[in-house]
Amino acid sequence: MDLLVQTAGSLAAILALAGLAWWMKLGGTPRLESEDAVRHAAGEVEDGFDPVTWSWDAEGAGALARDAEGRIMVIRRHGNRFAGRILGPAAQAQASGGTLVVDPGERRFGTLSLALSDAQAWAAAINRIDGRQDA
Amino acid sequence: MPDFSPTQYAVPLFVVAVLAEMIWAKFRAPEAYEPKDTLVSLAFGLGSTVAGALLGGFALALFIKAYEYRIFDFGPEWWTVWWAWPVCFVLDDLKYYWVHRAGHRIRWMWASHVNHHSSQHYNLSTALRQTWTGMFTFGFLFAVPLVLLGFHPAMIAICGGFNLIYQFWIHTEAIKRMPAWFEAVMNTPSHHRVHHATNPRYLDRNYAGVFIVWDRMFGTFTPEVDDEKIRYGIVKQLGSFNLLWAVFHEWIGMLADIARAPWRHKLSYLLREPGWSHDGSRETSDMIRAKWQARTGAQAAPLASSVADRNAIAEAREAF
Repeated sequence: MDLLVQTAGSLAAILALAGLAWWMKLGGTPRLESEDAVRHAAGEVEDGFDPVTWSWDAEGAGALARDAEGRIMVIRRHGNRFAGRILGPAAQAQASGGTLVVDPGERRFGTLSLALSDAQAWAAAINRIDGRQDA
Repeated sequence: MPDFSPTQYAVPLFVVAVLAEMIWAKFRAPEAYEPKDTLVSLAFGLGSTVAGALLGGFALALFIKAYEYRIFDFGPEWWTVWWAWPVCFVLDDLKYYWVHRAGHRIRWMWASHVNHHSSQHYNLSTALRQTWTGMFTFGFLFAVPLVLLGFHPAMIAICGGFNLIYQFWIHTEAIKRMPAWFEAVMNTPSHHRVHHATNPRYLDRNYAGVFIVWDRMFGTFTPEVDDEKIRYGIVKQLGSFNLLWAVFHEWIGMLADIARAPWRHKLSYLLREPGWSHDGSRETSDMIRAKWQARTGAQAAPLASSVADRNAIAEAREAF
């Protein structure tokens, strides 16, 4: 019984604190809207990742970057931070107009929808990944 | 016999302190908190308490049995032996250092401990992001030597509770440095920020609970560098706020690796360091640091020369 009361009380405190964080507008919305921002985020996803080409979403919510080895990284906003993956053979992409939908092949990471000017080219590059990436 | 759980009494303090840090963040660093991340961290804390209550009985029964074979006997009123308390606290903190180090260097242990590191934020709510699955590791066995020495399991539990309470306040970016004498002896926000960092220079460093002297003694200490922004979390960030995925993802990954691996490598996926793979397709923290050093020419922590470091778990010693 004690455990139930404590659990209920703790749950109420948790919801109150999380609600307060939301009400206080903590967090913010960082955007990937420049080469520097993409480079920085890519370096955080994998230390030393050095993009040679890149594109960022029109809303700044995500980006794609390719390094000299031909590896393609997808980056997306996660909360008020960024998370990303180097795409492997399981990744798939579909371009429709200026929208690119990327499925990194990792269910829990989820798919991303990016508004890009060069969506078709990125889709083709991602769908060509076969585990033997090269420049 | 004292029937006392310090962490239970500390919960209101935790809530007030998180609230105070949120107010600080509102005015000084709004990015330090993120509502969904906070919710997941706090839910971890609640689930951990429930899991402990449901599963902790097994460890307690083991400790009580082991206590029958103790070497020293503090008598039937062991709690009145005043000097046993600080001795137990220090030895329990030494135990914490090693169980924590094992938690980072043995994947079976990491599968549980990764929970605490899965946030990309570092604030007081992160301190409450505690594992639900600790009882499925062998971490509790590290306390058996203390029991065999004669410390009653209740005394160890109380000391461990105070240890945990101490570690709460160091999960913050609001405090830059404590006075030099304090930084030299005690674990501090600065030292523990290093521990939560994924920057290559900081990976698998500063395992201390209360006293940072263990890291200095066993060669795993690295000071915080002021001109390098810390990034928090894990090397492969989850990218998800799904609580259950955050709790079990590494267990699922480890078991999948064991299932897929050739027979002669299966045990290595359980007992070797996180990131190890039999085909070299992944990177351990040592490999990431070595690549970073090769790329930048930077120096990480100096090579430790302690005796204990030569017996490090899973070859934790630097290879440079």
